[in-house]
Amino acid sequence: MRKVFILALVFIVSLSCCACADEVKIGSCIYTFNDAFMLRFRNAMADESPKLGAELTLADSKNDQTTQDAQVDEFIAAGVKALIINPVNRMDVQTMVDKARAADIPIVFINREPMPEVLASYHKAYYVGAKPEESGTQSGQLIADYFHEHPEADKNHDGKIQFVMLRGENGHQDMIARSRYSVLALKNAGYEPVEIAGAIANWEKLQAMNIMNAFIMSIGAENIEAVLANNDEMALGAVEALKANDYNKGNPEMYIPVVGVDANASALDAMNAGEMLGTVLNDADNQGIAAVRLAEAVASGRDIGTIGYEVTDGKYVWIPYQKITKGE
Amino acid sequence: MAENTTSRSKRLFTTAGLIFLALGIVLYFAKAPMGLNRKIYDLPIFLIIIGVCFALKGFMSKNAPVNELETSRVSFVEFLTNNAILLAMLVLVVVICILQPRFMQIRVALDILTQSSTKLIMALGICFALLIAGTDLSAGRMVGLAAVVSASMMQTATYANRFFPDLPQVEVWIPIVAAIAACMVFGALNGFIVAKYEMHPFIATLATQVIIYGVCSLYFDMPPNNSQPIGGIRSDFAQIGQMRLFSGIYKGFPGISILIPISIVICIIIWFILNKTIFGKNVYAIGGNREAAVVAGINVFRNIMFIFILASFLYGIAGVLEAARTAGATNNYGNGYETDAIAACVVGGVSMNGGIGRVGGIIMGVLIFTVIQYGLQFINVSPMWQQVIKGVIIAVAVAIDLTKYRRK
Repeated sequence: MRKVFILALVFIVSLSCCACADEVKIGSCIYTFNDAFMLRFRNAMADESPKLGAELTLADSKNDQTTQDAQVDEFIAAGVKALIINPVNRMDVQTMVDKARAADIPIVFINREPMPEVLASYHKAYYVGAKPEESGTQSGQLIADYFHEHPEADKNHDGKIQFVMLRGENGHQDMIARSRYSVLALKNAGYEPVEIAGAIANWEKLQAMNIMNAFIMSIGAENIEAVLANNDEMALGAVEALKANDYNKGNPEMYIPVVGVDANASALDAMNAGEMLGTVLNDADNQGIAAVRLAEAVASGRDIGTIGYEVTDGKYVWIPYQKITKGE
Repeated sequence: MAENTTSRSKRLFTTAGLIFLALGIVLYFAKAPMGLNRKIYDLPIFLIIIGVCFALKGFMSKNAPVNELETSRVSFVEFLTNNAILLAMLVLVVVICILQPRFMQIRVALDILTQSSTKLIMALGICFALLIAGTDLSAGRMVGLAAVVSASMMQTATYANRFFPDLPQVEVWIPIVAAIAACMVFGALNGFIVAKYEMHPFIATLATQVIIYGVCSLYFDMPPNNSQPIGGIRSDFAQIGQMRLFSGIYKGFPGISILIPISIVICIIIWFILNKTIFGKNVYAIGGNREAAVVAGINVFRNIMFIFILASFLYGIAGVLEAARTAGATNNYGNGYETDAIAACVVGGVSMNGGIGRVGGIIMGVLIFTVIQYGLQFINVSPMWQQVIKGVIIAVAVAIDLTKYRRK
């Protein structure tokens, strides 16, 4: 099946090459097409490319690093002038960097950050993304702000915040950073956070709902003072579990603040209904635009200072997160 | 001899039942004055229920000889091995109750039954394929398909990111029928390739599994949704999975999830189909010996078609309920459900070689799995260890089952 896929890919890429000989051809691999955030990201890239006169081809790596490596080979064979890679495994990208170096084309990593020494190994390797710690910090601040405005949220009046943490996929950089920095933000705001329970829910609503339900049963909702989720889908799963136990349905006595990250449509909906406290926007649109502009600029030999985004250390473009609460 | 054992087992059950009952009643009245409320929770009520069940079993078994409980040592060992998984579960439950007394709550028991409901519907669907010595790998993806299709048409008018921006607020039954029909189309495809080309169901349903996931992803990826999780679900649809009956009968009673009666009704229907209809007899006949069934004049083609269509109907229901329960859907819903359902069937005594399996066993298998999984999560056992334990249970259960058949 893979052979057929690769053949099809070669065919499509070569076809698009014949059609537009003078455009900058960019090949981009997305770790999977089933990720809502990466969808916004790739839509932003696809919208920006024609404005720059670039031709963008997207490939679905189906969450398999071997597939992605093969796709990179095919892109290079088809003569792309730049690569934009959303790695399947951020620790396993050296091979792709080596391939880009051999072809002397820029390689821009997105969303999943490679190790610094890997980026340092090739002068045309870049990373466009958001600082994951920033999303953690901001979601922690949302809870801290809430406790500041509502001292009664400390239900057992012990001066500590007993929270539940719902984590994303094990080992994911965002999961690690969001978990750590949200707690740190609570500490920096002068609170003492206590993780009363925590589990990995793999970014999924269904899993988060079942896990949260088990926590409500085993710990008791009355003993949980806040829920910190690494993304909105998991936050929404927690909200559903709370609602099933008559929490977060409008009664101020029965409310637990829940925060997520991503600002997807369902989360905004839940926030306006008063079921969820807040979220942090990971700005996919600006990241997508920056990635394409950077790739195109390097491929056409222009100065990377002209892309409209600040480039740090000649390697990184950092797009800031934004805090969002009800009504925004 | 038979009469002797009967009366002995009768006496055993009755006495045990009455002891539990008495203990339960004493604890019930003693727990508040002794300050045990936060230590034993609803344990007295559980004891009373267990006691009543045992006592009833004792009284009812008057005329039906019970052979499992012969008191000779050999049969006692046999009893232990035959019920090893059940006993292991009971031990685990006791351990969990000691570690985390909150486990002894009525609401926890109800929650376990709720979580078992959709799994049970899945298992009842998949058992037909197992009964004809086949399997159905497409079950989980059908759940995803039904979830996405039903949720996509059930969004509120004001939701910012609607799947069909111009769709009016349709009657609730329309998306449900559409979702189940979509599953049944693929169920028919399963049945057709299995029956027409005599393809092994493993391969046939593997193929449809991949097709369904692809089709579901294409649907899910349609603009303007573009693969975003479906949200903003109408509350009248969500109620199908979230409604609670009799809540507030007394203070603190969480109510019985609507999923429990739904799955009970489906159990009764499937029990009736398997035991009281010609189709049910044909399923067992085909599973027991396909050639003999053909010789006996059973229309194998028609029966196999019906098996897979009926199964897909049940997966469709499970998918709709999952979407309603979680008030959302993605194309990843239901991923891996088929393995859980097969495992529950197998632990419940359904033979992979076909022809053997009862609805009661399947219910037992699902409950055992859910209790263990829920209990391990309850005392916060790492999900990785949960996987290991799950695997061990499957292997041990089937090993015991096979030795049982070999002995006979």
